[in-house]
Formats: sequence, structure tokens, C-alpha cells
Amino acid sequence: MSGPGRKRVRWPFLEAALLLAGIAFVSPCLLAVLNSVKTRPEIIQSPLALPKEFTFASYRYLFTSVKLARPMVNSALMCVGVISCLILSAPMAAYSLMRRQMATGRFLRVMFLAGLTIPFQIIMFPLLKLFRTLGIEYTYLALLIHHVSWGLPLCIFIYSGFMSTIPKALEESAALDGCGPVGTFWRIIFPLLTPCTVTVIIFWGLWIWNDFMQAFVIMGTTRGQLVFVQLYQFLSDKYVKQWNHIFAGVVVMSMPVTVLYLAMQRRFIKGLTAGALK
Amino acid sequence: MRSGLKGGASGGRLRGATASLILCGPAVALYGGFIVLPALLGFAYSLTDWTGWTGTPDFIGLANFRELCSDTLFFKSVRFTLFETAMIVVFFTFFSMALAVLLDKLRVWKGLIRGLFFYPYVLSIIVSALLFTYLANYREGAVNLLLRALHLDMLAQDWMADRALAPYFIFTLVAWSGLGFFTTLYLANLQTIPGELYEAARIDGAGPLSVFSRIQFPMLLPTVTTNSVLALITGINLFPQIVVTTQGGPGFDTFTIGYYIYHLGYQKDRLGYAAAVSFMTFAALVAVAAVQVAVLRRRQVSL
Repeated sequence: MSGPGRKRVRWPFLEAALLLAGIAFVSPCLLAVLNSVKTRPEIIQSPLALPKEFTFASYRYLFTSVKLARPMVNSALMCVGVISCLILSAPMAAYSLMRRQMATGRFLRVMFLAGLTIPFQIIMFPLLKLFRTLGIEYTYLALLIHHVSWGLPLCIFIYSGFMSTIPKALEESAALDGCGPVGTFWRIIFPLLTPCTVTVIIFWGLWIWNDFMQAFVIMGTTRGQLVFVQLYQFLSDKYVKQWNHIFAGVVVMSMPVTVLYLAMQRRFIKGLTAGALK
Repeated sequence: MRSGLKGGASGGRLRGATASLILCGPAVALYGGFIVLPALLGFAYSLTDWTGWTGTPDFIGLANFRELCSDTLFFKSVRFTLFETAMIVVFFTFFSMALAVLLDKLRVWKGLIRGLFFYPYVLSIIVSALLFTYLANYREGAVNLLLRALHLDMLAQDWMADRALAPYFIFTLVAWSGLGFFTTLYLANLQTIPGELYEAARIDGAGPLSVFSRIQFPMLLPTVTTNSVLALITGINLFPQIVVTTQGGPGFDTFTIGYYIYHLGYQKDRLGYAAAVSFMTFAALVAVAAVQVAVLRRRQVSL
């Protein structure tokens, strides 16, 4: 809403038209849900109709033959791991960059800012070689390290922006009480950063769960067992696509994200726009 | 004032430089070691003939860059990437704006409808790609089945593998996934327009089109800059979308620069050359983005 004086014309047709447009827009998703409970022949015959035979066979298949439970747990663990590492390292760094005098402060700020623009291809191959040299190629650890490092510039940027809302007086009084800088940070500043931390958890939870490309490149398809890399395997059978399985897979794997989205929609959008308006 | 506030170790409490080190150490170490270092190594590798993961890179100076100048597949990739990027930038800059303006007018179902348009953005690229692969499938996909059911058989195409259609397929996929994001940025910008402006326009009897062109559009220019740059970056970095759908096909028709680099590394093992290509692309992208921002900022200010 933008100010008290704004009168709006009621456009009922607009509401209905946009609602229909919106539903049409997400129709591929609706189609996936609808078709995930049909048998394969029925999908080919009548993709848009309600199922004649309602069946959960595809879902059963996913959890028994494909064993989708394991990748889901792995992806979830990866999210938790990455988010924890980010929260442990980024806010501290943002604090030291914004609030503390450091000889290298300016240089580090520029360095992190530059990181926001680097495309993945530039570091893709040297990074793989680096992991190979360290003996951790194709491991979960490598992917975790990558996700954390890759997310640091943006994460620090987000925290830095938020940091300016915290009054300096708090630090001064903490110092007067004899608190060292590190203690000051964790006991006083960090709790105040909680809204920011929540945003970080939501966004990185989404990104890491959804990630395909980086998991694919860093872990490959044979050794890694992560949710969307597994789903990619479904695509590789080029001749006979098991649509019912594919749809069931899509629905199951998007379920956590969808639930999160429905619960947190406002937060998502607020977090996005807060960052972008800077 | 106590001394020791500003720095230097005292009384066992960590102060000054040590504290700063602890605070930003982990982040700097991770970022420096796993982002900055590979980036620098990438540049170094571009000056070598590194092939294969176990090969030894030998210094060959600028030979890779010279080769790049006559690499037809590279130029094909560049042309395709630019074509896609142009469509993407235009779409995300203007269509999202139109949608945002319309969404902003809603009263009853605003949250719901906005949520519908935003939803595809939260889906993984693989999910979107699978959905679109299904829709586009020639024999079994929903689009063609629907066309045939409506007795419009001749309109049925192989949307993904046809030479003429593949680029538009990719574009549609990107547009579908990204629309919600760019529209949301415009919506946020629209919220900052003061209500008094609308009130004044209403008093003056201005119709919706005037309101848009005189009030809304000029005030949306900051987001035009942001969105067009983000769209540019999205277009230039088109790569996962290609991997999960066309794989560069049919033939080499949907090779983007990003996919070409991937192809060089994974299918041709030419890692030194791939590094050279990625470095050139990055440099070009920075240059173009800088120009774009400069031009748009100037327009922003003058209006």
C-alpha cells in the first residue's frame, strides 16, 4: 500500500482475469500433481482429464525401487550443514568488515563484493582440480565447502546491510563492561541479527535443496546421492520416459519447498525485495 | 574511558587484530581458498594447454586466445547466447513491469495471484525442465496431445528438438521460471510510490494509461536498471537449463557460451582452452554490464 490518499478503481474483471492467468501459469505444476496418480498409459491417452484409475503406484515405486528416501535425507543434511557453516562465518565477517577498523578492511570488502559477479564457469574446473589435489573430489565435503564459499559473498552482503540498523551504543557499553570484540559479537550483536538469519536460512535452504548444477558438477551422478541429481537420472532414458514416475518424483521432491513457500510466502518476498531495493 | 578499548592485547581478553582475525578469518579462508584461488588459477590455466584431469599444463602464452578468434563453434554459441539474452532482457524488463502494474491494482486476491505467479521461481531448475520437457514432447506431451484432441494436428511440433523452435523453447522455460522474481521486484518498487501522486492524478481526471506513463513508469526506472542487468546476467549464464533439456541440440544449435565451456571441459577435455573462454566471457560480461548500468543510470537521473 502506498500512502493514505490513494483511491483505487475496482476492476472486478481484472481480478478474475488475472486469477485465471495465474492458474494457467502454474498449470504445468498442477498437471504434474494430477498425472502423478495416473498410470502411464492413461497419461498418454488423456493428460488433462481426471484420473480414471487413481493410483499411488508411482510414489511407491519411488520409495521402494528408486529408494528416494536416502537422497532426500542427504539433501536435507547438506542444507543443514551449509546453513550452519554460513551462519557461523558470515555474520562475524560482516561485523568485522562493517564495524571494526582493520588494515585490510577496504580490500576485503571489495574482494567480497567482486565475488557477487563471478560466474560459476570461471572457477568450475580449477575448483575440481583443487578438490582432486586435496583428495576430496566427488565427496559431500567438497560440495559443502563449495556451497558455503560460494554463498559467502551474498550472505555477507545481506548481513552487512542489516548491520547498519544496530546502534553503535550497544557495542560501546559492552566494551565498557569488559567484553571483548568476539564476545560482544556473539552475545549482543548476533541475537539482534535474528531476522536476517531467518531470511538466510529460508533462502539458502531453498537454494541448496533445489540445487542441481553444482551438485552435478562437483559430485557427479554416480557417487552423489542428492535429490535433484537423482531426478536427473530420470531424464537420461531418452526413449521411453516413465512420465508417471517422473511426475511423482517431481511432486515429492518439490514438496518441502512448496510447503516452505506456502508457509513463508510473505517472508520470501520481503527478503527478496529488501535486498534488491538497495 | 578505559584504555585498551581501541586495540592491543590486554588482560587476557582478545582485542584488536586478533579479534578481527577470528571474526573474519573463517569466511576469508573459505572464500579465498575456494573461490578466489580457483578464479586466479583459472586465469593461469587459460595460458596453458592443460588437457585432461591428469595432464600437466604447459605454458603456451596467448595461444588459446588466438585460437578463440577463429573458433566457429564459439561464435555460434555467442550468437545464440546473445539472441536468447536479448529476448530474456526485453521480456523481464517490460513484460514483468506490465504484470506488476496490473497485479498492483488488485484488491481482493492480490496475495493469492501474486503467489501463483511467483511459485515457479521456487522450483528447482530440474523440475521446471522436466515439466517443460513433458509439455514439449512430440509423441506424448500435453501440448501436442491437446492440439490433436482439438483436431489441430498440423500444429503439433517437436517443440524441443526442432531447429527453428528450440531457441523459443529455452526462452519459454527461462521466462516461466523467472517471471515471478522480476515481477516481485517491480511490485516492491511500486509500493514506494507515494499515494498523493495517484490522488492528484485522480483529481486531474487522468486515466490509467496516463497514470502509468506519467507516474509509474518514471518511478520504476531504478528497477528497470536492476532488472535489465539481472536479466542480462541470467541470459549470459544460461547453462543448467541447456544441460537438462536440449544438451546443446539439435546439433549444436542451442549451445550457449556456458554450455560450450562445459562441453570443452567434459566432452573434449580441453581445460586450458575452456579457462580461456570463460575468462573472455567474464571480461566481456563485466564490460557490457558496466556500460548498461552507466547508460541506464544516466537516464534515471535525467528523468
